[in-house]
Amino acid sequence: MAHSFDEHWLLETLRLRESLWGPLEDSAEAGRARAQGGDFSTRLLTRARLLARREQVDDNLAGWRQMARVVLLLFMIVALVAGGAAAAGALGSGGQSVNLAVAVTALLGLNAITFLIWVVSFFMQAGTSGSLLTNIWFRLTRRLARGPNAALLPRALLELLTRQGLSRWAAGVVSHGLWVLALLSMLATLLAMLATRRYTFLWETTLLSPDTFVQVVHALGWLPSLLGFAQPAADTIRASGGQQILPESAHALWSTWLLGVVVVYGLLPRVMALLLSVVIMRRRLKRLAVDPSLPGLAELHDRLMPASVNTGIDAAAAEPAATALSGLAEIPTGHGPHYLMGLELPPDQNWPPQPVPTGITDLGVIDSREERHRMLNTLRHHPAQSLLVCCDARQTPDRGTLALLKELASLAGEMRVALLPDNGLQARRPQWRQQLLQAGCTPEQMPADITSAYAWMETTAQAGAATSASSVVQPGRAANAPPGAPA
Amino acid sequence: MNASSQVLRLAVVGHTNTGKTSLLRTLTRDPSFGEVMDRPGTTRHVEGVRLLIEGSTAVELFDTPGMEDGMALLDYLDTLVPPGTRLDGPARIQRFLDSPESLRRFEQEARVLRKLLDCDAGLYVVDARDPVLAKHRDELAVLASCGHPLLPVLNFTHSPDHRIDEWRSALARLGLHAIVEFDTIAPSLDGEDQLYDKLALLLDTHAPTLRALRRDVADQRRQRRLDGLGIVAEMLLDIAALRLSSPPDEDSLQASAKELQRLARQREQRCIDTLLKRYNFRPADFPSHALPLQGERWDMDLFHPQALKEVGLHLGKGMAAGAMAGATLDMFTAGISLGAATLLGAAAGGLWQGADKLGRRLLGRLKGYQELTVDDAVLRLLAMRELALIAALERRGHAAQGPIEIASLVADKADTLRKEKLPEELLEARASPEWSTLTDHYQPTARRAQAVKRLAAELDTSWMPESLQMGTLPNHTG
Repeated sequence: MAHSFDEHWLLETLRLRESLWGPLEDSAEAGRARAQGGDFSTRLLTRARLLARREQVDDNLAGWRQMARVVLLLFMIVALVAGGAAAAGALGSGGQSVNLAVAVTALLGLNAITFLIWVVSFFMQAGTSGSLLTNIWFRLTRRLARGPNAALLPRALLELLTRQGLSRWAAGVVSHGLWVLALLSMLATLLAMLATRRYTFLWETTLLSPDTFVQVVHALGWLPSLLGFAQPAADTIRASGGQQILPESAHALWSTWLLGVVVVYGLLPRVMALLLSVVIMRRRLKRLAVDPSLPGLAELHDRLMPASVNTGIDAAAAEPAATALSGLAEIPTGHGPHYLMGLELPPDQNWPPQPVPTGITDLGVIDSREERHRMLNTLRHHPAQSLLVCCDARQTPDRGTLALLKELASLAGEMRVALLPDNGLQARRPQWRQQLLQAGCTPEQMPADITSAYAWMETTAQAGAATSASSVVQPGRAANAPPGAPA
Repeated sequence: MNASSQVLRLAVVGHTNTGKTSLLRTLTRDPSFGEVMDRPGTTRHVEGVRLLIEGSTAVELFDTPGMEDGMALLDYLDTLVPPGTRLDGPARIQRFLDSPESLRRFEQEARVLRKLLDCDAGLYVVDARDPVLAKHRDELAVLASCGHPLLPVLNFTHSPDHRIDEWRSALARLGLHAIVEFDTIAPSLDGEDQLYDKLALLLDTHAPTLRALRRDVADQRRQRRLDGLGIVAEMLLDIAALRLSSPPDEDSLQASAKELQRLARQREQRCIDTLLKRYNFRPADFPSHALPLQGERWDMDLFHPQALKEVGLHLGKGMAAGAMAGATLDMFTAGISLGAATLLGAAAGGLWQGADKLGRRLLGRLKGYQELTVDDAVLRLLAMRELALIAALERRGHAAQGPIEIASLVADKADTLRKEKLPEELLEARASPEWSTLTDHYQPTARRAQAVKRLAAELDTSWMPESLQMGTLPNHTG
């Protein structure tokens, strides 16, 4: 899909604008560019076009174009006038003889110098466009065009032309075009004046010999003579020194020679350069391409060409099922065993973390389903008076673990949850704390460290032992506590 | 085969809080996908995302809630379908999905299993720091009943307390031999390649899609790197060409030096913002950090002599301290002699283009003005910082939430960065004040555009430290 030059120009203007003043809000435009599809360059151009419309950059661009046209028109008028004036100046009013050397210099001198500079500029690395006229035109338009983006548009144009290798040829079209116009006007004036007035031509010299003139005239006239322009004979040239009166035919000969020189050395090179510029410019315009690695464009890649699209969620999340650590077992104080257990601890965790105090039964580390079932069975038959569960602080507390803790709480008179390892590492203690609180734990059910948890166990165990020693109501239950838990 | 059947559908499953959403963020390079937090049950629904190759869907990934109650679920399955009944895995799962508890206690698990039944395969994400527990085996047993291939993906493998070996042997015992290590915070550069390769082994009918995806991932990475280097080259040229002229008195010089520093700092910030955007990391993703960069003294001012000293650079010309640090006085002659070729070329080729500027500079010279440029050492520091940033961004997963850690710069190429002659392009920029977009004298030329391309290529081949490309790893933040 071909994109117009203006689209590229808008893209460049917006690129400069965004890199100078920060990115524009573009969610709607980027969305439409994504929806329209195409490759990255196409999407960049689409986004720029939409943003330009929103920011009215395209109006500014049209205004700028208009102004450029007006200035160019002025230049064309100036070129026409200047060409005519140069011809008139070179020939004079016809009162006195026309000095051939002066006339040729006046007609072609400036043209030849600027043309040579244009040719030489090909060998310059400074990156000049080699055209004074175009530069002046460009600067004048810049001065005259006003508007919010007036400064950016020409800069963007220059950047774009330079990058696409167009600046030389675009400048060439303008400057060669103007020169062709001026030379055509010059030729027309020459023809008109030579047709309607009588001119005598001569050469003058103090230093050079007449033979030099013969050579120069012949050398200059050789190329025009191939195109049919008359070439004065050597005698005629020698005779034109100003001392002799020449026949009318000799002056007619000189005037065709002069026209030939202007056409061949003035007009033809300019026309050829113009054609070359036009051809190359048209070819390059057809191959206009965005350079997506430019700063300002490169970073839009993931925005316009996302590597992924979100397809949304299946259904709204359900309310998390409430799992409260409630329903404590009704166990008279002073009865039942005291248990210590580890829950889903890693194999490299020492067990027990500290030597088990007397009066407390170590149920070991519970991990698999079978262990869980066995342990729950034990507790159902012998509900604990106090239970200390040690969990791994580094793991994430999940619903399964919390559900098990809930079940354990219902089988124990009092339960505490301690977190291992006990060293200073924070690990995931905050998450455990939060989840346990949510599950209905009270803060005192979460001892700060394993030492205080052990201390709690020992106190309850001793208190329990004292109560059971003094009590005679149910001596059997305490005595029947399982000596060792199945692990 | 129609187009939709070519799309590979993958369910990302695993225990709770193992980084399933993180894996998706990193694979999609989209830091805004889903919600990531270090707590259980952050994701409570199934969320889909399509991976595109040139606009068309190649793979569809589904983020699922974590499995949290695998043991109880297995118990429940046993009560639904007593062991010994002649029902295969998927049929058992289907019976569970039809049961009332699939809407209550096991609502989350039901969502996961429903999605996995619906997909071609599952990626089972493992937090490699977790011990291998019975509950993990049980939930794997449930997942395996769905009858689809499972590819375990070990996450957080760069953590010092990982248990990769334990997991590998445990998974092998369960018959899962193809395993991928993929750290979502700092994936290795070929992490995605390995993931897609292993998947292609498990799913040979989708192998062409996966190969295409792999190629696309590599292409995109190369493009990002080229773009990133171009962004850095552009910034270096801008700052190298920056040239402020100032009246010769002390106050004006100091004011100009301040302006010079301000422009350079601003330009660096713009470069960083652009790089972050190109790599799809947004400063807004790191709300707690003003500048989301850490390490190698990113917080330190560009012009602070200490910042240079820390990477072994020294300021020249006795301007190392005070208000003018990092600025170099150029007595015009130097500027002109350096740029003689350019200026002569401009003068001869088209007097009009450089003439007014040359004239202005010569006039300044006659008035005794001085020109200030940014010191070479600062340029080197800028190059080091930005190249290190590129290296860090290349190896950062989009799930990472900590500040960007810039790995140590003192690496194998440090000597090159410190001592080697500055690249030709930067020297030429020094002599071409019109190359700097930071002043009004900026003029776009084809030569500058070429210089950016050449400098970017040179940065890649001779300045980008190799050790930053592969080796050292950033600190791990859980």
